[in-house]
Amino acid sequence: MKSIDEITRLSAEDLERISLDESIPVPEELSARVQAAVRKPARWALPAGIAAAVATLLAVGLTLTRNPEPVDTFDDPYLAYAEVEKVFAKISGTVAYGAEKVSQSEQTLDKLSYWK
Amino acid sequence: MKKLYILVAMLLLSITALAQDGRSLYNKYSDYDDVEAVYISPAMFRLIGKIPDMEMDGENVNLGPIIKSLSGLYILSIKQGAIADDLAADVNRFIKKGQYELLMEAKDSGEVTRMYTVGDDSVVNSFVMLSHDGAETNFICLDGTIPRDKLESLIADAAKD
Repeated sequence: MKSIDEITRLSAEDLERISLDESIPVPEELSARVQAAVRKPARWALPAGIAAAVATLLAVGLTLTRNPEPVDTFDDPYLAYAEVEKVFAKISGTVAYGAEKVSQSEQTLDKLSYWK
Repeated sequence: MKKLYILVAMLLLSITALAQDGRSLYNKYSDYDDVEAVYISPAMFRLIGKIPDMEMDGENVNLGPIIKSLSGLYILSIKQGAIADDLAADVNRFIKKGQYELLMEAKDSGEVTRMYTVGDDSVVNSFVMLSHDGAETNFICLDGTIPRDKLESLIADAAKD
């Protein structure tokens, strides 16, 4: 009987020739041994999969229930709009302050470069 | 089996990370005493977007180009103290986790303001402004699918006025 190493070294043509050679007897229990060697899914795979799915659902559920959507502060869209405007006015005010400082720095740099 | 445990742990961690957003901060702090809180929902933004040519007197800001792209506004104002410190720490944590990018920082007479955005070159998915002046800490979080160019030109135009 050939070892696995010897079989792996055989070419495809050799393997085909051997498989067609009816003089070589096929062991009776070969089919059963091959089936037994085929890896079956582990016993824990199904319960572990179910546990993972349950854990995921629980985590999503907990996240959603612990972080519900707040209640709107305004019922009136005009008041809500005014609040958004106020927010943008505040943001713009900060940006304007930053832009002014940058402009002042540029002027100072210009003056310094003039006296150099 | 080990791989499965790692996968489940990563999944749970990512879900927990998702929970770190403007809404979770709002839910955490809005019920405290001495906290001013404002929330505007996606439904309200949709309603505002449906009202034609809505304009208000007072602030010189034209929100028309972006109002429909907004989906949530969270504002928290907290007087200085332990809760305000906690809020600032939580905001900094969520900025880090959410991979926000610092847009600008301004310091003026003890008031520090930082603005952050997250998104890509064309869209801003969230805008955060955190400011504290020694007396009060303010947190503003604006969510949506906001075209970056429109947001920037809106802020720039308003800043000119």
